[in-house]
Amino acid sequence: MDIDPSKILIRYNVQKEKAQSPEELAAEMFPKAEPARTICAAIFDGEEDDVIEGLEKAIEGGADAIKLIDDVLMVGMKIVTDLYDQGTIFLPNVMMSADAMLEGIEFCKEQGGSAPKPKGKIVCHVAEGDVHDIGKTIVAALLRAAGFEVVDLGRDCPVDEVIAAVKKESPMMLTGTALMTTTMYAFKEVNDRLLESGLKVPFQCGGGAVNQDFVVQYELGVYGEEAADAPKMANAILAGKGLAQLKETFHKH
Amino acid sequence: MVKRYTSMAYKAADDMIFGKSVYPVKAELGLEVGAGYVTAEVNYAPRPEAGVSKEKLVSEYRRLTTDIMARAVQVGFPAVSLETEHVEQMTNNPTWGGEVAHVQKTILEEYHEEYGIKCGLRHTPGDIREDRDLLALIGAKYDTLMESFEAVAEAGADFLSIETMGGKEILDYAILRNDVPGLIYGIGCLGSIDMTMIWSDIRKIADKKGRIAAGDTDCAQANTAMFIAGGLLDKNLAHTLAIIARAISAPRTLAGYEAGAQGPGKDCGYENTIVKSITGCPIAQEGKTSTCAHSDVMGNLVMQCCDLWSNESVEYHAEFGGTSVQCWSESLNYDAAMLNVATETGNAKMLRDILVLSDKYRDPQGYVLAYDNAYKVGQAIVKDGDDLFLRAKNAAISSVDILNAADSKKLVMSKFEINALKDAKASLDAMTDESETFMSDCMEKYKAEVAVFRPDANYKF
Ligand code: B12
Repeated sequence: MDIDPSKILIRYNVQKEKAQSPEELAAEMFPKAEPARTICAAIFDGEEDDVIEGLEKAIEGGADAIKLIDDVLMVGMKIVTDLYDQGTIFLPNVMMSADAMLEGIEFCKEQGGSAPKPKGKIVCHVAEGDVHDIGKTIVAALLRAAGFEVVDLGRDCPVDEVIAAVKKESPMMLTGTALMTTTMYAFKEVNDRLLESGLKVPFQCGGGAVNQDFVVQYELGVYGEEAADAPKMANAILAGKGLAQLKETFHKH
Repeated sequence: MVKRYTSMAYKAADDMIFGKSVYPVKAELGLEVGAGYVTAEVNYAPRPEAGVSKEKLVSEYRRLTTDIMARAVQVGFPAVSLETEHVEQMTNNPTWGGEVAHVQKTILEEYHEEYGIKCGLRHTPGDIREDRDLLALIGAKYDTLMESFEAVAEAGADFLSIETMGGKEILDYAILRNDVPGLIYGIGCLGSIDMTMIWSDIRKIADKKGRIAAGDTDCAQANTAMFIAGGLLDKNLAHTLAIIARAISAPRTLAGYEAGAQGPGKDCGYENTIVKSITGCPIAQEGKTSTCAHSDVMGNLVMQCCDLWSNESVEYHAEFGGTSVQCWSESLNYDAAMLNVATETGNAKMLRDILVLSDKYRDPQGYVLAYDNAYKVGQAIVKDGDDLFLRAKNAAISSVDILNAADSKKLVMSKFEINALKDAKASLDAMTDESETFMSDCMEKYKAEVAVFRPDANYKF
């Protein structure tokens, strides 16, 4: 027994796929000049060795190692995350590109003998009692890929530790992930303890169990539907948006 | 040394069917699993507020168990099985889990006595073997876990299960990087090593207490891959890679049977059809009637060879139709009744094939798990059944081959899925066939790349 499945199901992913391949689309976005073009292509391909080789050539050719970070590495990574946001490429590509870019940054720092100022610091954690950390890992990777410094507190993180980290690091933003209806209540406690200490840091919360209706119950909370919302919100904070505006942007109803 | 499977339990894929297995198992209160009929397996989770004390938890489970049984007799169902997946407190405090099992079993006994309804009870302690960011598979937590198994077995749980996490530290890293050798190492090698250890011990407890060592699932890894892959429009992982992870999970779940499990396998093991083709042991499955817990892209197909039919999990609360456990157990039981009618009227294979065709072409994952293809994956596994690495690699290769051989007018894959498949194939082609080389290369690679990987402490290398 067999059927023609076209009457009973539609694979919308196939229907919606763009005519151009991700490689073609990326190639149109790479900078025209060398060595930037080759380095960006190596980041897109997630090839660490090629990234380093390109950087070496650039530095031999007189480029400033530290300037290469912003002028080339971040540009290459932005192409990757833009394509991910558009739905053209998938997460593993972003992760591999981010690994390659981060190695490139380390190399530039060694060569240049100094470190550039990151765009801002963000503390990430998984709610106390919850071990589901893949969403958090993705959030942290996308934030790093977007040029933010991430302090990753890991999973099953006690409220005390979150508060202590915020006090110590003074981050521009805090993220929380919870996949269980039993653990997400820790976010309210984090919120209350932050407010008690007068720390009004925007607290973006996401993960399977969390929804907007829950997050609006506490003052500092902003709901994050998907991991890509984290760098978007961090950039919005850099652009000067306050809590109310962040909620307006990221809350859907 | 455990004996590994090197042959199939079924002569042909077409012999596999729901409700029947080669080696049925029997619970205390009349329920047989895989003996010719399908039974609902009801799953539930306590409300968060109930977790604060032992008394509250016990009372929550007392109420929900009574609710399920009351509904089953009100609607005239002949059998029902319950699964209690522990919340962490119940495993960490073995007496808590034990008391819940005792209270539940007592209610089942009362209903069995009064109405003759056949019942079963599965308890699934949580895999508590970790410290914050590190797996701690061997040591004090292992001992507590075994105490928990002892306690629930003593208290009356018929079926003992767990969802183990061995190999997960590598999977979490590899799955976000399209790293196929990493999948084989994490799931197929490390996972199977841990499974062999833990299931030997669970079987000893089951034998001592006269219970059934039921089975495991690769939830921690293959379901993680499936959830990251998500729906058709999600962009986090190619569905073609998710099914490779799933295929590799079959030999891992199989390792539990080799060490002593007898079935019914755990509901969320979507790899179970492959496993059943090799072991002939009964399996639980979940799909269209577990949408309360998660979405998948093969809700009908996974019914194809189930012996228990589960709703995965639902929080205990009120719905318009009664409490949530009553609503979902009723749906499950009606599903079971339909399957059993098909069996009684000689239409079982027809219904099985209808269920399969409803989802076979919906997604590469369902395509490979359709029983005819699942059987082929099973054959690839037993071909090198004695070599944990090779059989996992074989499973991966066979899933890739099955997809590549599919009729592209029926199983329509996106360019993205096809490319991911091509990359996976290239990476498999480039891999060694030597187990020792593979193991030592991986050890070196992942020790360098994965900070939380502690091979000696967790796998006794
Ligand atoms: C994989 C998995 C596991 C793995 C986790 C592996 C890991 N390293 O994370 C393992 C096997 C360890 C596991 C264990 C358990 N699990 Co589990 N697990 C899952 C499963 C199948 C998938 C979760 C997942 O990884 N999804 C993919 C990731 C990528 O999604 P995500 O985290 O939501 O992240 C996305 C977005 O939400 C967002 N995001 C996440 N965080 C943030 C933050 C910000 C700021 C932003 C902007 C976005 C964002 O970004 C991501 C991508 O866009 C779910 C099923 C389900 N329906 O979700 C159950 C599930 C979460 N588990 C569940 C349970 C019950 C358990 C256990 C208790 C089982 C047991 N009895 O042992 C234990 C938990 C132990 C504990 N104390 O935590 C239940 C929770 C029920 C509840 N109470 O709410 C679920 C829902 C299954 C079910 N239906 O019953 N589990």
